[in-house]
Amino acid sequence: MTGAEWTTDALHVGEPTVVASQLSKWFGPKVAVSEVDCSFGPGVTGLLGPNGAGKTTFLRVVAGLLSPSSGEVTILGRTPRKKHAVHREVGFVPEDEAVYGHMTARRFIHWSAAMSRVDGPAEAARRALETVHLTKDADRALATFSKGMRQRAKVAAALVHDPTVLLLDEPLNGTDPLQRARLIDLFLNLGQEGRTIIVSSHVLAEVERMAGRVVAMVDGRVAAAGSVPALRDAMSDKPRLIRIETDRPRPLAKRLLGGDWVEAVKVGPESVEIRTTDSRALGHDLAVAARESGARITAVSPEDESLDSVFRYLVDLR
Amino acid sequence: MRPLLLVVGSITGRLMRRGRSLAMFFLTASLAPLIFLIGLGRSGEFAAEMYNNITSSLGMGILYPVAALVVSTAALGEERKAHTLPFLLLKPVARPVIALGALIAAAISSFVVLEAGVLVTWLVAGAMTGEWSIGIATTAGVAVQSVASAALFVPLGLLLNRATLVGLGYLFLWEGILAALISGIQASSVYRIVLSAWADLAAMTPDTYDVVDEALGRVAIGAGGAVAKVMVMALVSVFLTGIVLRRRDLVGE
Repeated sequence: MTGAEWTTDALHVGEPTVVASQLSKWFGPKVAVSEVDCSFGPGVTGLLGPNGAGKTTFLRVVAGLLSPSSGEVTILGRTPRKKHAVHREVGFVPEDEAVYGHMTARRFIHWSAAMSRVDGPAEAARRALETVHLTKDADRALATFSKGMRQRAKVAAALVHDPTVLLLDEPLNGTDPLQRARLIDLFLNLGQEGRTIIVSSHVLAEVERMAGRVVAMVDGRVAAAGSVPALRDAMSDKPRLIRIETDRPRPLAKRLLGGDWVEAVKVGPESVEIRTTDSRALGHDLAVAARESGARITAVSPEDESLDSVFRYLVDLR
Repeated sequence: MRPLLLVVGSITGRLMRRGRSLAMFFLTASLAPLIFLIGLGRSGEFAAEMYNNITSSLGMGILYPVAALVVSTAALGEERKAHTLPFLLLKPVARPVIALGALIAAAISSFVVLEAGVLVTWLVAGAMTGEWSIGIATTAGVAVQSVASAALFVPLGLLLNRATLVGLGYLFLWEGILAALISGIQASSVYRIVLSAWADLAAMTPDTYDVVDEALGRVAIGAGGAVAKVMVMALVSVFLTGIVLRRRDLVGE
C-alpha cells in the first residue's frame, strides 16, 4: 500500500458494528465533528488525531452521551441515544480522570456489573480486576489511586459486562510503561476475540502498537483512513527535520551531505539538523556515517513530528 | 428494581460522604444552642413555645430549606460537574429510573442531614421541657421538606452550574417575599406546605397558632394534603428529570 492508498476509500468496513453516517456535532458556532462518515468492525481501530481534532466528541456521540447535531450513529443497528438497552453491548472508558472516589475499586466495578445486569456481578468484578492487574488494590478507595490505576479501574468497569463494542478515549493516559504494555496486549486480545474496539489517541506510536486500522481526524473531519503501514508510507514522503546530537557535528554533516535524500543541513556546536525527504534512508545510513566520520551520536529526534503537522500533511495529500 | 437501588445507593453514598453533609448538619443543629440560651432558667411551657416558634420560623423558613437545597442540587449536579455522569448514563437503565433514583437519594440524604440537626435540637428541647414528643412534628416537617426540595432542586442541579445560587434566589424571592405578598401563589409555596404538615402534628399554644396561621395564609393545615402535594411534585420532577437526561447533552465536547 502506498501513501496514495491512505485515503478516505478505507473509511468503511465489510461487517460494521458501529456506523457513523454524515455525523456532525457543533456547540454553538464551533463545529467539533463535521460530516464524519465511516464505520468500524471487529478488531482494534485507532482513532488518531492531535488534541482538539474532535476524537472525544466523536466517541461521546457514538456512545450516546451527546446527541448528533446532524447525521446518525448506530451501534449494532441501534441508536445508542434512544435505545439504552444497547449499552449492555457497549463499554466506554471516558477521557476524564473522574471516578467515584468514595467507592473502592471492587465496589465500583461490582456496581458497574450490576448496573449492566450481569449475572454474578461479584465474580465478574473479580475477573475484571484480575484482567487489569488491580486485584491487590481492589479494596482501596478509588480516591487514593494514581491516575494510571484509575485508568485501569475504568477499563475494568468498561469490560466487566463482556461488551461487544469498546469505546476507549485515551485509555493509556497516565499509565506507566508496564501498565501500558499490558493494556495494549489486552486490547489486542479483545480485538482478536472479535470485539469492536475504537481507541483514541494523539500518540502515533501507541496506536501503531495496537491498531490494525487507523482513522485519522483533523479539525473535526476524517482526514483519511487505512492501515498503519499505509500511514507510515504516507508520512515517509514528507520532508522531515531531524536533529542529531553528536560530539563531531561537522564531519558527520559533511558525510551525510553525500546522500541524495538530504535537502539541507544546519550545523550547530553539538548538533546537526538535517531536512530530509526520506527519513528511513537517513536512519539506515546514519550508523555508517557516524562510524566513518568518527562521531558519537547521543540523540536523534524529529523536530517537526507533531501530530498536528503530520495530519495537516495527510489532509494535503487528499 | 435492582438498578433503582444501585442508583440510589451510589448517589446517596456520594452525598453523605462529603464535608457538605457535616456543614449542613451544623447549620440545622445551630437551633439547639439558640433554644438552650433563650429557654435557660425559664419555665418548660416557655421553652416549648420557643422551640415551636423557632423551628417553625427560622428552621422551616430558612435553615432546613437551605440545607436541603444544598444537598439536593448536588445529587446529579455534582455527577455532572465531576464528570462521573457517563458512568450512570451509559448503562442499560431507563432515564426515569435514574431520575427516580436521584430523587430518592437526594430526599434520603437531605432527611438524614436535617433530621440529625432536628434530633440535637429535640434532645435539648426535650430536656428543657420534659416533653419528649416535642420533635415529632418537626421530623414530619423535615421529611416533607426533604422530598419537596429533592423534587425541585435535583433537576435544577442537573440543568444549571449555579443551581444552589439560583435556588437561594428562589427561596428568598418566591418563598420569602412573593408568597407572603400574593395569596394566590401560597398553595405552591414549599415553606407553607411543610409548615402545614408540621402544624397538623405540633402541640401549639394559641400565640404560636396565630403566627403559624398567618404564615400559612390560604394554605390549610393538614399533613395528608402536604404529603399529597409533595408526591405530585416528586412525580412531575421525575418526569422532567427523565426528559432532561434523555434529551439534553449533559457532557461537554
